[in-house]
Amino acid sequence: MLRIGPLLGSTVVVIYGFILLPLIVILGVSFNDTARLDFPPTGFSLQWYAELLHKAAFLHALLLVSLPVGLISAVCATLLGTLAALGIVRHRFPGREVLQGVFLLPLVVPHILLGAALYLWFASLGLSASLGTLIAGHVLVATPFVIRTVAAGLVGLDRHIEEAARDLGASRFGTFVFVVMPQIRSSLISAAVFALIVSFSDINIALFVSGPETTTLPVYLFSQIQWESDPSVAAASAGQIIVIGLTVFAIQKIFRARVGR
Amino acid sequence: MSEAVISAPATAPTKLPVVPQAGYALVAPNLIYLALVLLAPLGLMASYSLYAGSLPGLTLDNYAKLGDPYFLRLLLRTVWIALRTAVISVVLAYPLAYFLARAPRSLATLGLLLLLTPLMVSPVVRAFGWVVLLDRNGMVVHLLRHLGFEDARALIYTETAVIIGLVHLLLPYMVLPLMASIERISPSLEEAARNLGARAPQIFLNVILPLSLPGLISGFLLVFVEALSAFVLPALLGGRRVRMIGNEVFDLLLVAYNAAQASTLTVVLIVLTIVVVGAGYGFGRRGARL
Repeated sequence: MLRIGPLLGSTVVVIYGFILLPLIVILGVSFNDTARLDFPPTGFSLQWYAELLHKAAFLHALLLVSLPVGLISAVCATLLGTLAALGIVRHRFPGREVLQGVFLLPLVVPHILLGAALYLWFASLGLSASLGTLIAGHVLVATPFVIRTVAAGLVGLDRHIEEAARDLGASRFGTFVFVVMPQIRSSLISAAVFALIVSFSDINIALFVSGPETTTLPVYLFSQIQWESDPSVAAASAGQIIVIGLTVFAIQKIFRARVGR
Repeated sequence: MSEAVISAPATAPTKLPVVPQAGYALVAPNLIYLALVLLAPLGLMASYSLYAGSLPGLTLDNYAKLGDPYFLRLLLRTVWIALRTAVISVVLAYPLAYFLARAPRSLATLGLLLLLTPLMVSPVVRAFGWVVLLDRNGMVVHLLRHLGFEDARALIYTETAVIIGLVHLLLPYMVLPLMASIERISPSLEEAARNLGARAPQIFLNVILPLSLPGLISGFLLVFVEALSAFVLPALLGGRRVRMIGNEVFDLLLVAYNAAQASTLTVVLIVLTIVVVGAGYGFGRRGARL
């Protein structure tokens, strides 16, 4: 067994410090009791979180844009991606390998350029920025994650169970709903959560396809940081860190429990 | 039921009929979606890059303009920042990747979780942390002054700040392939080297480094490509002084309404990306054959 020496150990701790430091700073600033962006914090207060609740632009971005866009995008991406994963994993047809590559293209093309291309495309079609254009862009970048996750879940399935269902008279659709879906449930859930997170944290596409009425939370934060940052921006950012941290923690617990059984 | 029964995958022999038509039907929605929302917009952009303003006909003028000193500096600065980001990421990623590959399972899981969770936090939020740290009254300046650098200035709006932010953002992309490569190196090779008298630096240079080269190359190219198309980090940490291609595309499109020039830069960046990714793919294949 190899030992992790003290030199390597301390180096690793320092690098983790570097990775976590900016996130800790945001949390610290958000709970501070001064209006300056001071770190380390000099006191403790929840005033900046309270102030957020009075910021109409923040509430609009969170509740009327980012959340609905995230949820709708996640549902659409999960549908499109699951169908595509089924086609690719379960069927053999000419052009299948090429398609696998094509389906991952939205990950290869830099998102800032996808945003720019979508902006020009929607403009040429006469579509103005709306929730629809945002969702169209987010479904595009979230679907590859769904395809990967669901395909990985499908590969390990025992096909004999489906065969048995078919032999006993179940239809194709019935077999999928009652036999396949329960088996890949955890893949489907993590794919949908992944898609939601992709949509929720995206900025590069939203910058181009969101209008003044459809500013997403990251776009709102971006312009606030650029022009007039106060600790309430940190509170909004810290909120995101806390929610994502808890989500990862919960998913980890669920998967542990499954493995335990 | 079907006349064209194609061989099922090798894993489990079954008698489930595999119908090509069904396969096409399942992938069709996503394919149509990609055609409408990915390929058509990119094609439109490529065609815009050949527009000659209000004049009829096509032209390469927009590409020729990229030879202007302004654009040349922009391209060079972008590539140079991306290159330094990738090199620094390698240096930081090796200890981390080695640790994650060799640590006991529970410790490695925790380490991986701590590495990957920040990935899900929006780049805007992560950049904001650095804005606070590197600002005029930020912790880093105070720390530097405390250490005796009396004339230490704020790092914000410098290339250093942009590179720090980019390394922080992209480090996981370097660690993951490297970790996968190191996991495949048998620990007994290291033990053998140690028993024969090699010290840690020698083991690293002669055993770990050459054997983890495929992971190193794919991680390096991934970080390099991602850094090339950075936007949020240079916008928040570089300000007006440190602009990269992404910032220029944004301003050309949304501030100057110069779609043709923005499209030209986009095409250049996409071609650059595809060349780098293609090179990485080639390396990866060769690595797999070796």
